[in-house]
Amino acid sequence: MDEDVAALALVFAIWALLAAAYALVPMLSMPDAARVWGAGAAVFLALAVWVARSRRRR
Amino acid sequence: MAFDGLVPALARAPARDKALLGSLLAAALAALAFGVVAGAWVALTRAGAAAPAPENGYRLLTSHGTAAFFFWLYFAQGALLLALAMAHGRERPALALRPLAWLGGALMLAGFAATQAATWIGTPLLYDAEPDLAAENRASALLFYAGYLGLALGLAGVALSAIATAVAGKRERGGAPWSAVTFGAVAWAGLILVSAVAVVNAFLPAALWAAGAGPLPADHSTGWHILFHNLQYLPLMGTVLVWYALVRDFTGGGSVFGERFSKIVFALYLVFVPPTSLYHMFLEPGLAPLVRALGSVLSLFVGVPTIAAFLVIVISLEARARAAGRRGAFGWLRALPWGQPAADALLIAVLSLALGGTFSFVLIQEKLAGLLSDTFFVPAYFHFLTVGTVSLTLLGGIAHIVPSLTGRAPPLRRLLRALPYAIGAALLVFAFAGVAGGLAGLPRRVLDAGYDGLAPAAWRAVSAALGIGGAAMAAGVLAYALALLAGLARFGAAAAPAPAREAAPDAAAIRHSAWSAPASVAVLMLAIYAATAFAFDLMRALPVQASGSGH
Ligand code: HEM
Repeated sequence: MDEDVAALALVFAIWALLAAAYALVPMLSMPDAARVWGAGAAVFLALAVWVARSRRRR
Repeated sequence: MAFDGLVPALARAPARDKALLGSLLAAALAALAFGVVAGAWVALTRAGAAAPAPENGYRLLTSHGTAAFFFWLYFAQGALLLALAMAHGRERPALALRPLAWLGGALMLAGFAATQAATWIGTPLLYDAEPDLAAENRASALLFYAGYLGLALGLAGVALSAIATAVAGKRERGGAPWSAVTFGAVAWAGLILVSAVAVVNAFLPAALWAAGAGPLPADHSTGWHILFHNLQYLPLMGTVLVWYALVRDFTGGGSVFGERFSKIVFALYLVFVPPTSLYHMFLEPGLAPLVRALGSVLSLFVGVPTIAAFLVIVISLEARARAAGRRGAFGWLRALPWGQPAADALLIAVLSLALGGTFSFVLIQEKLAGLLSDTFFVPAYFHFLTVGTVSLTLLGGIAHIVPSLTGRAPPLRRLLRALPYAIGAALLVFAFAGVAGGLAGLPRRVLDAGYDGLAPAAWRAVSAALGIGGAAMAAGVLAYALALLAGLARFGAAAAPAPAREAAPDAAAIRHSAWSAPASVAVLMLAIYAATAFAFDLMRALPVQASGSGH
């Protein structure tokens, strides 16, 4: 995989995990944080897909 | 064509892209000028040298927080982000999604006008804009919230244009990996997009309430804390990327650890943002003890990406300077182009970061957060970061690229070179007075801390120092901003062509020769930790009087 795509995908994975933890672990339970970091995970996933597709379309 | 530097690359950009960058920069500098005048007025009011009506005093504080902390920083970051994405990202620098970037800039400008108009015709809400404060004047509050939402949407437009520019460049280069700066710019743009989401998360419910279309938000402060966490990281990430890009320009070569390693360091910023957000929750009453402890441990990681990036920059600088024949323990520092204003700005920015970093380590510790958070300690220490580190870096970065936009060097070069030192000295007075005041319990966000003569005598002395330091600091920043605005208006002498660079020596071969830069960083880090430990001891011995919550 392209190194730029891999780095963006890694950020997505970490943010998604944290968003899940903020949403699901009762002790943390921070819906606002889950919402923002979850949206952030989606942003980095979209970025990774955008970059990966642009490489294939060249 | 190989990358030949930010200035020559930007000079080749189409005129309409340069016009966009110039417009964003002009808006940034105007917001900064307005913001620091308001800040100085507040400082002088606290010192007893100015006496606006109380409501106007809070309007000045609101204008200061919004103009300086939001609009100056984001207009400037937007412009520099586009400049880096375009110059580093593409063979032939040009913006992709140009109309979106223009629309974004226009929305940001409208947002700026809306927040300021709302502040001066309605209730001043301060920059965190708690809806509770706005109950009596919902119409102006709606205008204020709409201004923040305009900023968020506008920033998203600018960030998307930057990302599209980098993606277009990758396509043109047959899918080859981005340079480290281009990757850093994309990561920075990604974090801007997330911050735009955080603005909407924090302020949309308040806007709906003000419009009569929703209930009073019950947890505005949680949304604000999450946004504020992003807004601490985001400008710092931009600052470090600007350092990296400028030093690359100064030395003619990138990191001696290779582009991939720098990308990992930039990605680290993103990896550390969400977990370290826990420490903002220290003041929430219901937080489980384990989470509190976890937050304390994680908070220690806040500085990791910045220290890593700084190490990469200084080691590369030293190695390249040594390879070019510089001798002596610190001879490499002479490799920086000291004749250019940006170099002086960067030096003070780095020193301010060391000081600001020390105090922030003190503040983010769980036991102290509650004691100091409503005192002047907080604004005092963060001005090291907002003024000394971030604003001076952005100003230096702007000074660096203005000639590529106008073909002319900004006027008053000598003044621009001297100002960072004057601003730094005034900042020391302002911040140390404020820290001392904070430790003695001097409250923040209070315009007259005299309490009819009942306040401790020490408060009066530090307030006077705050006024003097604040006024001097504002005068310096204002002069810098005005000189750059004059540069954008094409005053100043024709710019000299960028000096030709020798081919950079092989990076890996020269890496081992750097020793004094990493050793200095290690000494600096030890000094920061020692100062933090000392501050803890000091604090235990002092009667800290105020407590509370919020930033
Ligand atoms: C250079 C001249 C500046 C001066 C004289 C100045 C002065 C002040 C003063 C006196 C306060 C009020 C503290 C209080 O009473 O609680 C303040 C708050 C603040 N300043 Fe500055 N400042 C300057 C520049 C900046 C810059 C460039 C930024 C951001 C980039 C900034 C960000 C802030 C923020 C976020 C606050 C907190 C506002 C609040 O609590 O509502 N300042 N400043």
